[in-house]
Amino acid sequence: MRIAVVAPRLHEPGTVGGAETLLYSLALDAVRLGHEVDLLCTCAKNHHTWANEAPPGVFARDGLTVRRFPVDGRDTGLYAKLQVNLASGCRLSPGEQEQWLANGVNSTALVDWIKSGGRDYDRIVVGPYLFGLTREVCLAAPERTLLVPCFHDECYARVEALHAAFSKIRGFLFNTEPERKLAHRLMSGLSPRVEETVAMGIEPFEASKTAFASRTGIAAPYIIYSGRREGAKGTPILLDYLDAFRRRTGRDVHLVLTGSGEIEPPSSLVPAIHDLGFVSEEEKREAMAGAAAFVHPSVNESLSIVVLESWLALTPALVHAKGAVLKWQCESACGGLWFKDYPEFEEELSFLLDNPAAAATLAAQGRRYVLSRYSPEAVRARLGSALER
Amino acid sequence: MAKYDENDDTPPAIEIGADGIDAHKIVEQIRAAVADKRARGVYDDEIVARAERNNLLLIEDDEQFMEQYLRCLRQIVPVDINDFEIMEKRGSLRPLMILLKKTIWKLLKFYTYRLWSQQNQTNAVLLAAIETMNRRHKSEISRLESRIEALESGRGG
Repeated sequence: MRIAVVAPRLHEPGTVGGAETLLYSLALDAVRLGHEVDLLCTCAKNHHTWANEAPPGVFARDGLTVRRFPVDGRDTGLYAKLQVNLASGCRLSPGEQEQWLANGVNSTALVDWIKSGGRDYDRIVVGPYLFGLTREVCLAAPERTLLVPCFHDECYARVEALHAAFSKIRGFLFNTEPERKLAHRLMSGLSPRVEETVAMGIEPFEASKTAFASRTGIAAPYIIYSGRREGAKGTPILLDYLDAFRRRTGRDVHLVLTGSGEIEPPSSLVPAIHDLGFVSEEEKREAMAGAAAFVHPSVNESLSIVVLESWLALTPALVHAKGAVLKWQCESACGGLWFKDYPEFEEELSFLLDNPAAAATLAAQGRRYVLSRYSPEAVRARLGSALER
Repeated sequence: MAKYDENDDTPPAIEIGADGIDAHKIVEQIRAAVADKRARGVYDDEIVARAERNNLLLIEDDEQFMEQYLRCLRQIVPVDINDFEIMEKRGSLRPLMILLKKTIWKLLKFYTYRLWSQQNQTNAVLLAAIETMNRRHKSEISRLESRIEALESGRGG
């Protein structure tokens, strides 16, 4: 089959973006399944500015043909205004929804490539859901399009203009069961031809539990968070909670952070924070392996790859109970605990620190779950089945 | 569990069997322990109240949200006018800027007292009003629920 995978940006080292990583991984899996795959993306590298930084053109990478197209011009002021209205709970009129989508991320050149026949793709895999580009691709070739929505339970997912486009497509490749249920809640009467929970394959790895501490000299027990640091990811809660934990319990527990984004920790927490920024995969895995817990306080995730990685590194997870997907991951794997407020966080972190055998068992259960459910082979089989249907 | 509480309960007895460990069971046991400690006021302090500032919006649909919100509000309602750690990010000018800020704080501190006392009065009145409203609503809802139950049982019978 000829397959196009459409992503807003090309996944590259240093690019933080879960959806881009997921789509790139699915494209590679499709190549391994023997398909001919084009990765269609924009020239943008920065997910805040969406400026055309890379030149448009075609090149080969990892067995894929990458085709880059320019991002359309947009009215960022109008977009920001509508985005704020949406985020603050306002309902946008149909006209405003169109304006919001038209001034988000679009690429007429990319959509025209598909409309003009492109390379006569048999399947078009596109995501995530909240971009005008994704909507236009769905409208361009609905009978061949499989959407990787990466739905979160958030205001943008309730934009009816998106639902209208998504209700006509061939199918959906979900990351988790809660995401599939959310899609049906958002779009009643949804009955696509293909509905598969595919997710992303993770290569198994082993990581030393002591290498990170030996290299960095961090002797205190620590918890870790990897990824973007921002309000939507719950980073401020993590900082507040750990600061309170240290002050109330008197335990010198540190916080290791990898990834990008500014943080504003309380001054009393500053000496206990080790902000590593971007690190190699090996360093990240070793840092995870040495941690008492991987803490993820985000309530808006469609699949947390870093939680799966922490289990492979044999570290239990501690997640926010209001995050349906993260809680579901911990429940399904029996690989971690979930808290809904500070008292539960305090008791659960204390539990993991004071009961290393139980913590290790939770982590081992998590690892077994990842190996069986998210092995590259298992994911490829699910993807292959969805593409063929 | 946490070391701070000398009267602390025995940690949950978690069994690790051949089938492993049940995360649900651990969370349930911890929640029961939290409920008990909460009733004893173990978490009623300003540190917990301030730690919850970013979390309260996330749990607004929770059954216990109002109780917890008010608990936090009660802890932080008095404005803190004590001296605080003065920070400065600009590396080269840091000592000078900190000295300058400390001097300004010393000079202005006296004038904040008036604001402080007025703000504390306002906060106390607002808290009392919210607590009263909450109590009245709860009592009204409870009365209406009893009435609905009585009406329904009368109709069913």
